Amino acid sequence: MPTASDSAAAPLIEMRNITKIYPNGVLADNDVSFEVRAGEIHALVGENGAGKSTLMKILYGMERPTSGQIYLRGAPVTIHTPHEAIALGIGMVHQNFMLVPSFTVAENIVLGTEPLRGAFVDKRAAVAATASLAQQYGLNVDPEAVVDVVPVGMRQRVEILKALYRGADVLILDEPTAVLTPQETHELFAAIRQLVNAGKTVIFISHKLREVMEISDRISVMRDARMVGTIDKRNADEHLLAKMMVGREVFLNIAKPPVQRGPVVLKVRDLEYATEAGVEALKHVSFNVYAGEIFGIAGVEGNGQTELVEVIAGLRAPLGGVIELEGKSIAGLPPRGVRQAGVAHIPEDRLTNGVALESSIQENLIVDRYEREPFTRGGFLRPSEVARNGEVLIEQYAIRTPDGALPVGSLSGGNMQKVVVARELSSRPKLLIAAQPTRGVDIGATEFMHEQLVKARNAGVAILLVSADLSEVMSLSDRLAVMHAGRIVAIFPTTNGLTEEEVGLYMLGTKTMTQAEIERNW
Amino acid sequence: MQATLPTTPSFDRAAERARVQRERRRTAMIDVLVTLGTIALALLVGFLVMLIVGKDPILAYSSLLGGPLSRTNRTGRWIEDATTLIILGLSVSIPFRARQFSLGAQGQMFMAAMIAAVIAIYVPMPPLVAVLLPLAAAMLAGFLVGLLPGLMKAYLNANEIVSTLMLNAVVVLLYDFLLTNVFTPPGSQSLRSEAIQAGSMLARFTTLLGVNLGRANLAVLFAAILVVAVWALLNRTPFGYEIRTIGANEKFARYGGINTRRAIALSFAIGGAIAAVAGVHLVLGVHQRLIPGIAAGLGFEGIVVALLARNNPLLIPITGLFYSYLRVGGDIMEQEAAVGTEIVLVIQAVIILLLTAQVLVNYVKSRSRPVRET
Repeated sequence: MPTASDSAAAPLIEMRNITKIYPNGVLADNDVSFEVRAGEIHALVGENGAGKSTLMKILYGMERPTSGQIYLRGAPVTIHTPHEAIALGIGMVHQNFMLVPSFTVAENIVLGTEPLRGAFVDKRAAVAATASLAQQYGLNVDPEAVVDVVPVGMRQRVEILKALYRGADVLILDEPTAVLTPQETHELFAAIRQLVNAGKTVIFISHKLREVMEISDRISVMRDARMVGTIDKRNADEHLLAKMMVGREVFLNIAKPPVQRGPVVLKVRDLEYATEAGVEALKHVSFNVYAGEIFGIAGVEGNGQTELVEVIAGLRAPLGGVIELEGKSIAGLPPRGVRQAGVAHIPEDRLTNGVALESSIQENLIVDRYEREPFTRGGFLRPSEVARNGEVLIEQYAIRTPDGALPVGSLSGGNMQKVVVARELSSRPKLLIAAQPTRGVDIGATEFMHEQLVKARNAGVAILLVSADLSEVMSLSDRLAVMHAGRIVAIFPTTNGLTEEEVGLYMLGTKTMTQAEIERNW
Repeated sequence: MQATLPTTPSFDRAAERARVQRERRRTAMIDVLVTLGTIALALLVGFLVMLIVGKDPILAYSSLLGGPLSRTNRTGRWIEDATTLIILGLSVSIPFRARQFSLGAQGQMFMAAMIAAVIAIYVPMPPLVAVLLPLAAAMLAGFLVGLLPGLMKAYLNANEIVSTLMLNAVVVLLYDFLLTNVFTPPGSQSLRSEAIQAGSMLARFTTLLGVNLGRANLAVLFAAILVVAVWALLNRTPFGYEIRTIGANEKFARYGGINTRRAIALSFAIGGAIAAVAGVHLVLGVHQRLIPGIAAGLGFEGIVVALLARNNPLLIPITGLFYSYLRVGGDIMEQEAAVGTEIVLVIQAVIILLLTAQVLVNYVKSRSRPVRET
């Protein structure tokens, strides 16, 4: 029997020798031990697929470990459902919010444990409870607003309040900053500090090292389903953490030889597009992309970049204007026609629509070429060729899988990313469109993506890079355009000597180049 | 700091592959055991139901489980029913693989039966042609009846469940109308068409083998050929690749360059052409004429067969045989043990329900893989 002093000395949460093997054979956690002290902010970091989310799902009762034991204040506990986790004071805020969009903030917070008056939900009590909880922890929300219309940052605070309302002492935050703007992140961190001051404990899952160094007291690093180690923040720095996460030296700076610009590959003139709802998303968009260069498009998300990419890729039909690839019009062609003209496309939502999770890796690698030789001959698909192509690309792009016949869904996010890149680059494109290539991607995968883009550029491919990450688009691009409100508002002939502040003014629409200036830089 | 920095462990592909394959085999074995367990459990539940309603469960069960094999003509009924169900299961598996919930097999079958019968009754033909021409015409009719809701779904985004069900009603009522007013010869005592010409009749095993196998006939060969053909279509042709990819992720298919609209419309149409073969089986093989409600309710039984087989054409013969065994056994139980139709249906439903639930469990399990952290 543990005595009172024993349990006081014991860590708040201890997960001992946790192993998790999923039914499809994937080993997600391999003999992982992890402990959290009361009142700390503990960051759990690792590359995509390192096993950190699975570990936390086990703690929250969403998954059962294959083996291993969880201790809470020194006493062994079994947690089979989130309900049991909540009863033990463990709450989790997921990356994808689990809120009812048509309910108000207060209704969402009390959902399942509603204050009642007679047989009815006491809405006034719910609002009051929400307001006082929000006040107590400095999590600013509007209790009576409908969740559907509140900004992402507030939805996240609603999730946190929901967990607190149910009595959570330990809060697991799964990549909470992935969806936030820098300003919102700042507010979230202030709120986290206030929570800890109020005696809560926070587990913070992330792979953004800058944030981890800013917010946490201790940091645990996972890699390849194993726990690499736990260190105090004062002993850590970003470089060391990156090394622990990736398992080798990481180079975050991009080496790029001087640009060798060839002829115009993509010519876009006066491109017009309106969404189904009638919103004008593209207005007179014109630019060129030359062989052997990376032409970047910067801009705050939602200023027409997504539409521009999808119109060029053939996924949306333009209202008017010219799109030419090496002099031939590709405007209005279906995706297959655009691809056959020599365009490859790394889509921004590639983990959802750049792959088919249930299909095998091999089959994902032929979606743009399955109907041609050697994959189809005499009307029949040739599985041996499909498999061979898979093996070659798995080898060449170091896609980490035991078997190309496994579904893409069995891969880690970084490796899924590689499947997309392998397919698109192996089509030997003249133009590569890369949309938000490193969004939601970890260090290793970012490094890989940048390498591949520069490599393709050096080989003479014209690259259209669209990114909301200003530092990324500025360091990778040879020329840079800025989009605002559906227009190209600036084209810089070089990124040398350009500052983020300068570009930022164009992104916000406070500065615009004259038409003559822009045309000079087409 | 406590953590030392290990080097990246080398990824032993061969060992990993072996491990994953072991794991898969283990999972597959568990699947089989669970399925057998489920069947046993379902039979037990049926047994209890029988006890509660005060029937003789032992007699009833021996009829249900032994009935279809107790006499050759009963076995013939089983083969006949299984032939129809297997063909129908194959038919719906094609749109289902593209995640299109076409429920049009019923109408396609009735239309096919009509077309096949008209040709086989009224157009004099030499042997062989007398079978192949009605078959081809019926398949074309099924293709077109399938194509219509397929086009409506692909190009107008009309809900396929509604459109196929409505179309079923139209075709079935048309069938009833024409049978009553056109195909039934004047002065006939009962509502039925003339018999089809002898050359169009699919030979029955009873005549071929000299054993009384009822109305089971050579259409079994159609079913066998279709199993292989549908498997090849789905797994060995570019069209099958399109269907499977659309079923896995339609947006991805479109992004990758697949003409998703064409493929979706065709999946309905090809399903229709196959359902037509089931209609041909009923006209040229089983009834050898048109009768009222020739295929009533069968279209939906095909869906059960396909779902139990998880739309895998190679499993459809197994689930088709299993399900029709239950259907025929149920009929026999009804006759021999004087168990009411309702009880028979309850027991069948319990078995199917438990098995479907297991399919669902597996489906959910296969989806809840550790996808990734983003």
